[in-house]
Amino acid sequence: MKRRSRLAVVVSAIIVLLGFGISLKAHHGSRVSYDLTKTVTLKGTIKEVQYVNPHVYFLFEVKDAQGHVTEWGAETDPPIMLERRYGWSKKFLKTGDAVTVTLWPSKVGAPRGFLAKLVTADGKVLDHQEQPQQ
Amino acid sequence: MGNRFSIICGMLVMALACSSLASGQTTSPAPTAFDPHDLSGIWWGRLARGVNSSLGPTAPPMTAWAQEKYNAAKPGLGRGARAQPLGNDPMMICDPMGFPRIMFWTNYPYEILQLRDRVVVFFDWFYTYRTIWTDGRELEADPDLRWYGNSVGRWDGNTFVVRSNGFDDRTWLDADGHPHSDEMRLEERYQRVSADTIEVTMTLTDQKAYTKPWVSDKITLTRAEPNIRMREDVCVPSAEQRYKELIRNPAGGAPKNVK
Repeated sequence: MKRRSRLAVVVSAIIVLLGFGISLKAHHGSRVSYDLTKTVTLKGTIKEVQYVNPHVYFLFEVKDAQGHVTEWGAETDPPIMLERRYGWSKKFLKTGDAVTVTLWPSKVGAPRGFLAKLVTADGKVLDHQEQPQQ
Repeated sequence: MGNRFSIICGMLVMALACSSLASGQTTSPAPTAFDPHDLSGIWWGRLARGVNSSLGPTAPPMTAWAQEKYNAAKPGLGRGARAQPLGNDPMMICDPMGFPRIMFWTNYPYEILQLRDRVVVFFDWFYTYRTIWTDGRELEADPDLRWYGNSVGRWDGNTFVVRSNGFDDRTWLDADGHPHSDEMRLEERYQRVSADTIEVTMTLTDQKAYTKPWVSDKITLTRAEPNIRMREDVCVPSAEQRYKELIRNPAGGAPKNVK
């Protein structure tokens, strides 16, 4: 029985790794709008959250050294994927939250991006290991 | 990265092989019993090419009519070679995906219900459904056009055979923008091959659009985990429009006056 359990763990690990490998290798060009070869990281404050289909997105304000504020926007997966893969929910993020946001940025230089990683001031993390699909 | 991944996989495969040899016995559990005529349940269509899935990787040669429509289609979703930031995919304004494309949108589950006189397939994405009549009726020769077609089904041995016609030709077949006409006919063949797996093949015949039938690759449906429920994942046009104005258009470089 023990041996069978160990075997199940090994098989599961292979399946998980194979699945992970396939998803990493796939070139998800969607979001053909975004440069998937680099990321930018910004600190800001959430202005608006839209937890909607088919794209969850939020706007946040980033202040530079001179005090100028730029409104950035980040989109990510639909709710069903965020909830299944990352345990997100509608309550994860709200207006006024201080956040550190890592994005695959817009190719045209607009202050927009696809979410790669989000860290909230109270330590919640969404680490989007896969590049966007849709 | 690729090398390290290969090494880890290789080690795991070797460990698996050694474990089997050491035990000297068959380690796979007994298969769960299933009724091959029961397709009911919640299923995932986990297809290898994700949201870029289609009947198969290569469409049959298109007619001039279809080629013109294909050229006018500007895919905006997925990782296809033709995708561009500001496409005209009908889904990008929440128009119905239609059938069979909704089967290829793999992030959402579908639920099959078998009733006395019909099979109903619910799709979580768009929170919509199609009806497959099993009461012995024939397909109408000239039915009203529907986004998800008009369908009848019957059992041929252990294969559930579905024939459909009357598809609204405003839908795309896939994220790459392959068109179809309102003359499209589909035959789908479903086989429950295990407790957790249904295999599907489909044949699309549309002489107005393709010079020969398009026979699909095998589509595998996998039983959803017990905690998966149908949600209400509706594409809401007003929400999509706001997303487009706030995110998609600026990210894709659209002029400011484009709504």
